Amino acid sequence: MIRPFDFDGDRFDRSRRIDWLDVNAISQTKVLMVGAGALGNEAGKNLALSGFRNITVVDMDTVAVSNLSRCLFFRESDAADERFKAELVADGINGLAGGRSARAVTAPIEEAASDLFRGSDVVLGCLDNVLARTHVNGQSYRAGKLYVDGGMEGLTGRVMVVRPPDGACLQCGMNKSHAKVASLRFSCTGVETVFHEPRLAAEITTTSVLAAIMVREIAKHTSGRDDLMLSNMLYYDGKQNRMEELEISRNPDCLVHHN
Amino acid sequence: MVPLPFRIKVKNAESGATVEMELENDNTIDEVIESAATFWNKEMGAYVVRKGKKVLRGTMALADAGVREDDMLELVPDPEGG
Repeated sequence: MIRPFDFDGDRFDRSRRIDWLDVNAISQTKVLMVGAGALGNEAGKNLALSGFRNITVVDMDTVAVSNLSRCLFFRESDAADERFKAELVADGINGLAGGRSARAVTAPIEEAASDLFRGSDVVLGCLDNVLARTHVNGQSYRAGKLYVDGGMEGLTGRVMVVRPPDGACLQCGMNKSHAKVASLRFSCTGVETVFHEPRLAAEITTTSVLAAIMVREIAKHTSGRDDLMLSNMLYYDGKQNRMEELEISRNPDCLVHHN
Repeated sequence: MVPLPFRIKVKNAESGATVEMELENDNTIDEVIESAATFWNKEMGAYVVRKGKKVLRGTMALADAGVREDDMLELVPDPEGG
């Protein structure tokens, strides 16, 4: 016999009511999340609350006071103590998930073992510069893993889904303007590695929208519903309240597809 | 044979402004991006050009990208922050 409110004893009761969402598969999926800044905080929160329980968070940065307007898991004392962002996001995820669901890697992704990619099921890009994006895009593609990348600026942002071995990758959509900024660090932290200032700082409402879409795309893939996923890119304009799917075609000359 | 120039419009996605450009078939999308970004004094950053729903590849010549007289392209910032 089911008593009233019995269903409130199940943490994922509301998720289980969405018939296509596979909560069990989600709990077993290995997520590699690269970047633990604004997007990483929001995506980490969404991953934990959605039921993902095997998450590796990679980021080499430490917290700055300017991060605090966009980052759920950071406190002012973390900036003073120069705490690693990846550790704080992993701790935050573990706090929400109620267990050891996340682990931190505090090294540049370029120096992290390529096993990280091969050992994951999906890759989430919460990065802040073109160079790291091209690296993660290439590594994910070579490892044959779904890559969902987010980027934002002020009230605009985009989410790109890369599904090897088919279709376009992130680099297929890049041009000379990307090459110009590729070697310049684009960060909100203000540390000495910053050479290229953002055109507009990201803000939390845009971050929330993008991180939600990114994690939902991963949840669809994990639940076996690729048919519901973005074909490749979603562009979001929060100023005009517009959201639109754009098409990037595969570039036959793209280096990622020839390695 | 001397290539014939043709005119297109490029819209600035951030401001809504448009500019008319005179181009030739062998001009590239990269050149359109650079010219438009320079015209509007855009800050350094990544941009793409779209025609309708399609993001056009930088190295493509206009003719190969299907850009024709009177087309409207749009210069869109590619958000880099995270």
